[in-house]
Amino acid sequence: MLTSRRVLPAFDWRLIAAAAGLAALSVLIIYSTSGMHASLFRRSLYLKQATWMVMGVFAMVLLCVVPYRTTWGLAYPLYAFLLGALLLVALIGRTGMGAQRWLSIGSFAFQPSEFMKLSLIILLARYFEDHKDELHTPRIFILPIILTLVPMAFVLRQPDLGTAIMLLLISTSILVVMGLKIRYLVLLGAAGAAVAPVLWHFLHDYQKNRVLVFIYPDMDPMGAGYHVAQSKIAVGSGGLIGKGWMAATQSQLNFLPENHTDFIFAGLAEQWGFIGSLGLLLVYAYLLSRGLRLAKDAHDLFTMVTSFGIVCMMAWQVVINVGMVTGIMPVVGIPLPLLSYGGSSMLMNMLAVGFLLNIQKHRYLY
Amino acid sequence: MSREREISNRYASFQKRIRVAAILVSAAVLILVLRLWALQILEGDRLLQLSLNNRLRLRPVEAPRGLILDRNGELMVENLASFDLYATPEDMSDIEDTMRRLAEILQSSPDELRQRVSQGQGSQLEPVLLRKGVDERIVAAIEEHKIDLPGVSLRVRPVRTYPNGGSAASLLGYVAEVSRTQLKSKEFRDFRPGETMGQAGIERRYDAFIRGVDGGEQVEVNALGKVSRPIQQVEPQSGFNLHLTLDNRLQRVAEEALQGRSGALIAVHPSTGEILAMVSQPSYDPNQFSQRMTPDQWRKLTGDPHHPMQNKGLQGQYAPGSIFKLVTALAALEKGSITPETKFSCDGAFSLGSHLFHDWKKGGHGTLDLRQAIANSCNIYFYNTALKAGIGEITRVAGELGLGAPSGLGLSGEARGIIPPKPTGPPEAGGWYPGNTVMAGIGQGMVTVTPMQAVMMVSAIANGGSLYRPWVVRKVETLDREMIEEYGSELVRKVNIDPDNLAIVREGMQAVVSEGTGGRAKIPGLRVAGKTGTAQVVENKKNGSQRGDQRDNAWFEAFAPADNPQIAIAVVVEHGGFGGQVAAPIAKSLLEAWFKLPKEPRPARVAETEPAEGD
Repeated sequence: MLTSRRVLPAFDWRLIAAAAGLAALSVLIIYSTSGMHASLFRRSLYLKQATWMVMGVFAMVLLCVVPYRTTWGLAYPLYAFLLGALLLVALIGRTGMGAQRWLSIGSFAFQPSEFMKLSLIILLARYFEDHKDELHTPRIFILPIILTLVPMAFVLRQPDLGTAIMLLLISTSILVVMGLKIRYLVLLGAAGAAVAPVLWHFLHDYQKNRVLVFIYPDMDPMGAGYHVAQSKIAVGSGGLIGKGWMAATQSQLNFLPENHTDFIFAGLAEQWGFIGSLGLLLVYAYLLSRGLRLAKDAHDLFTMVTSFGIVCMMAWQVVINVGMVTGIMPVVGIPLPLLSYGGSSMLMNMLAVGFLLNIQKHRYLY
Repeated sequence: MSREREISNRYASFQKRIRVAAILVSAAVLILVLRLWALQILEGDRLLQLSLNNRLRLRPVEAPRGLILDRNGELMVENLASFDLYATPEDMSDIEDTMRRLAEILQSSPDELRQRVSQGQGSQLEPVLLRKGVDERIVAAIEEHKIDLPGVSLRVRPVRTYPNGGSAASLLGYVAEVSRTQLKSKEFRDFRPGETMGQAGIERRYDAFIRGVDGGEQVEVNALGKVSRPIQQVEPQSGFNLHLTLDNRLQRVAEEALQGRSGALIAVHPSTGEILAMVSQPSYDPNQFSQRMTPDQWRKLTGDPHHPMQNKGLQGQYAPGSIFKLVTALAALEKGSITPETKFSCDGAFSLGSHLFHDWKKGGHGTLDLRQAIANSCNIYFYNTALKAGIGEITRVAGELGLGAPSGLGLSGEARGIIPPKPTGPPEAGGWYPGNTVMAGIGQGMVTVTPMQAVMMVSAIANGGSLYRPWVVRKVETLDREMIEEYGSELVRKVNIDPDNLAIVREGMQAVVSEGTGGRAKIPGLRVAGKTGTAQVVENKKNGSQRGDQRDNAWFEAFAPADNPQIAIAVVVEHGGFGGQVAAPIAKSLLEAWFKLPKEPRPARVAETEPAEGD
């Protein structure tokens, strides 16, 4: 049944190309949206992102060489390490944009919460692999829930609502696929709703505003609502084919804040219109479909959960991010995988894709 | 169930859920695509417009207003470049330092400048106007220290300039920013705050011609409203030039003749109605309005008891006094109640019922005919004449000659004057007594005229019965001398007065100058016809504290040459005293000057014989 071709499959070059292509696109957009009146710092960001891209591609390819069983072994230590890093962030972290998210290592700022997403996926995969015979017992889900809530609490405290939501969504998605009954989920949701006022209390004012403005968009057109309004103008003004290269005035002239991070999609949509946006979504769809196929064809629970978790992570991020840029989701600060500016995010997503490649390459070896 | 089976079942259920997840992801992506379709395709055009609105601002560049020239092409109103000083705080690396340096140049305090900047800063972070119309010394100093003054800029703006200062000021008008109350009214809905416009006189009436079309600089601004780069420039279109019928040389003579007095003078061509000179004294300097006026200047202008802002020729209503005797004479002649030979004797008083009316000359004039009565302005003669003519005929003749109605010059604020109402019933019912008729007959009581009406009336008498609409703008031309609009003389009516009667009155007017009260207007070699008037001032007696206010208003109206009138003049000097003593010499100096002035071929004549074509 096994052919020699399948025993030693080559790299999935198309997957590599898709990931690297997205990262390169990121550099182009960041470059083209930094208007000539932007700060010198903003104008140099595309170079930094390019550096991250190169490092990311290396990390991605490098990860293929490491058998995923090694990662399997590292699941718990990695999680513990990142939890420690999150603790450190809370104690000595660098503050930026109103939140304490980064750890400075030399001149690099490292954002542990970003890597925690991937680590949580691996941890849950390992956990369910280890307990694959007990999945019918509901109590088996208790520990994963706790393992999710602990880093979530740290991240929420920074505060980083977006990443906290991502951790919750990734974990919930995995738990549901692993057989967590919907009724338990509803129960958990109810419990969550019960503590929501408490969580609300922990949110910063700007975050409360963003949620409120999403619910009542006319509340504050010049304040928080301004962001969404300008973002919609940017996306819509691209029309069918866009304004063209370097013509994204909404971003260039800073009508749209955060145009290189969470709102980078607007810069793409403005320059290349509906066609460009559709193209981007198709590339993501391709990436996700590759991951889903891997999950479906997986022969063991670890690779299944890992690839599914990675797909979930990316899918949720794409849907929420594009949704918020186009004004159908609240502005919660979730980056677009491989596209938004940021070293930690770039590396983590490259590693995630690398992981998919690894699973693909090694899936028949065990 | 075997363990193998159980495991494979479990895997099957995982795969089922993963398939569901795949469907959900596809659905979500589809929703995103639909959303993008809605935004980019359905709403794309609207949102593109919004993004352009975001990005582009039109910075208006004021168009230079058209020039105003006199009939000989002499410049009366022009534009000079003015430099306005602006500050852009964001461009200042060190605001304190820049303000300190700037204050030194402007000889002002840094605190005051800072205050101006913070006051002037609106929602957009546009450059803030620091000072309007800075002088050349400051311009030079700022240019010199440009490097040390980042964020400080000068913008050139055309400024309305009146080289002759207060000359013809109330006729020409002035230019100022459209006021807040004006902006609220419908008429000014197309104006933007801070835009300048003609606010009085010709500047106001012909604003649409003069103002031109403001240009603009379309600039790209960033989210802070800061200009990042110019996109395109629309050159402002200069306004049209106005050519007046006014002769600035005559205007100057007239200004000088009336200097130091309060009053008005209008000179027209009697057979066309074109205005040759129009003076209202005291005057004001319209240049004050072009720069920002201080509250103090404004108070001084509006609080002046002599109303310098008023165009007295149009807005001043005066009792005509004896110049109205021409109307009374015409009314009686028309009615046939007197002939030129009709004589009345004057012993200095005239009794009507229990009331005694006096002549201005103690002892009276003796017995006179109409010609002598006009020449000597005998009150007693005209008391009798007025009674014979009746108020109805007097009112009719006055109306025929244009009294009691605006002359139609078209400048705003023109007064109507008052003529006695036509009695509709018996005297008792209308409240009109013969005594009123007697007073009206010599131009006192219920009669007022504007100097404009007076000069048009005398013109109609001079030219044999044509009442013209006065006009002051001859033509409107573009900068390239392309004709936009041409005006000509316009007959209001051929007056319904026998030309023979007009001739009789003209003869009387000649006698006024040659042997009567207007002797001071006598010019050797020129047959001048005139009429003096000395109108009692009643209304001002209440606030008689002002010196000279109780004195009579002095009138003189004249035309010359008597047989072929080329010019008609009306002069009124407020509280001047006797018309023959005060107003007649003013008219004389004007007539002397006019007939000495070299005349160029007159385009206005062409307009008269060949009416302007089309519109």
